Amino acid sequence: MFQKKKSLWLFLLPGLTGLLLFYVVPFLGGIYYSMTDGTISNQIVWFDNYKRVWDNEVFRLGLKNSLELSLICAPLIFVFSFVLAVMLRVLKEKSVTFRNLLLMPYLVPSAALLIVWQQILFDYGGPVNRVVAALGFERVLWLESEALRVPVVLLYVWKNLGFSIVLFSAALSSVPDALYEFARLEGANAVQQEMRITLPMILPTAFLVFVMAWVNAFKIFKEVYFIGGAYPRDSVYTLQHYMNNQFAKLDYQNVTTAAYSFALIVFVLFGALYLSRGVRGNDGR
Amino acid sequence: MTAGNPPIRRHRRRPLRPGRALSYAVLILVCALLLLPIVLTFLYSFFPTSEMKAFLETRNNYEPDHYMDILLSPSIVSLGQYYSLLIEKPVYLQLFFNSALYTLSILLGQLLVIPALAYALSRFRFRGRDALFFAVLMLMLLPFQVTMAPSVLTMRTLGLMNTRWAVILPMVFAPLYVFLIRQYMVGIPTDMFEAAMMDGAGTWRCFAHMVMPISKPILGAAAALSFADGWNMVEQPLIYLSNDQGAMPLSVMFDRVAASEPGVAFAGAALYIMPALLIYTYFQEDILLGIQLSDMK
Repeated sequence: MFQKKKSLWLFLLPGLTGLLLFYVVPFLGGIYYSMTDGTISNQIVWFDNYKRVWDNEVFRLGLKNSLELSLICAPLIFVFSFVLAVMLRVLKEKSVTFRNLLLMPYLVPSAALLIVWQQILFDYGGPVNRVVAALGFERVLWLESEALRVPVVLLYVWKNLGFSIVLFSAALSSVPDALYEFARLEGANAVQQEMRITLPMILPTAFLVFVMAWVNAFKIFKEVYFIGGAYPRDSVYTLQHYMNNQFAKLDYQNVTTAAYSFALIVFVLFGALYLSRGVRGNDGR
Repeated sequence: MTAGNPPIRRHRRRPLRPGRALSYAVLILVCALLLLPIVLTFLYSFFPTSEMKAFLETRNNYEPDHYMDILLSPSIVSLGQYYSLLIEKPVYLQLFFNSALYTLSILLGQLLVIPALAYALSRFRFRGRDALFFAVLMLMLLPFQVTMAPSVLTMRTLGLMNTRWAVILPMVFAPLYVFLIRQYMVGIPTDMFEAAMMDGAGTWRCFAHMVMPISKPILGAAAALSFADGWNMVEQPLIYLSNDQGAMPLSVMFDRVAASEPGVAFAGAALYIMPALLIYTYFQEDILLGIQLSDMK
């Protein structure tokens, strides 16, 4: 650790300036905005904006959808990535190709995928509905009804699944093989091994994967914007749509107020994560 | 799944055979499903423009017995879509170059600023360091929209609104990469610094000749992830470039281009995906490391 070095400023200053100018100052300045009335006299109204925004139906719709969408996406990603990571471990060194393929969508731009997704896969006469019909159900109007959530959620999961798989795989590889050997000698079957050894051993990581998936899914927007546009159907109108549209109306008070409500929720989720670190500290890591 | 639990044999280290077979089957299926949209995009990009156009016209048909065909092989393998995009209509290329310009400028700026900041945060002791790191952590969790309105005011004050700088500059300081690189640098053993300083190296020599070379994997990871970010960005240009359609990147305009020229949309998508795939292939191992470091240990 270097102490009292003048050269610190050489390294610190450029980055610090940018962080302050483009992130910290706007963040703090926004708090001021959210508490003033936006007229020429610009009076401080404290929490009136918050009351108004929280009473606003459109804001509530956005909040409800962001929460619901994130609570659909996060568990899906959590369960699938855990199961797939366990399967990757079963295959040991043969799993590398699979893992690399699973992560690939994470780098692919979603805008480029959109045509296949929207114009072919989820078209009323497209392959997805062929499968639905083959299973004996009514075909679904994926893009023209409230079912729009399904393609949106699937596009999100498609893109982000690999990320959680990598986190789980790293945690799984740190569980000593000897534990499984021992369990097998004792006659434990595969499911018992996963439930009794794997799960407890990776619990801290599992919790973290879930919270991260949740926080990230709460920020879901791109996928909805591409599929549903700036004014999508009610079922996928997110908090970020509300903010973008308030911004377009130049109502900065509403934007910032919504923004800090949004930030508060993200921080509460993050607080849970932070507390979990305390829990981890106690279990001997 | 567990029915085939065999009698224990001493020398078998591998878990249950049915487990392996099942894992293979599921993973192959999942990978096939995940790759399907990408494969289809590339496949369809080699269809003649007219055939693709005709095919896309069969969508949005709600008659009870109508389905789109499952189209798997073109009547003739054609580079017509690519020819049309790259040579006949300059719009697409213009947008593509915009995207490349943004992404590369952001990466270059990040290279100049972020490793140094991460170095300061990881190897120096100074007042307010922990507070600064905590701020970085918080900022990286927030979506762009939270600071959107005040950022616009900052940009206006600086006179950067509706210029390309407004898109580039904030991304240059993206907190996520500060965090990632800092996490890696914290792990470099202190002994190495002590040894280097015994040999007379100062903070700058330590940084340029030791920390940077050692950090290559995480720099690769950050570069690849940041590339994906920039190549895919939507929110920032929508806000900062509202009056300047000509400066928009491909990520924002692609759906409009695709809608106006349905016959060539797939070649457009394929060309758009290609750089991302190349970056992914090249930086694969580094990216894995980067993701593992992102879990806030």
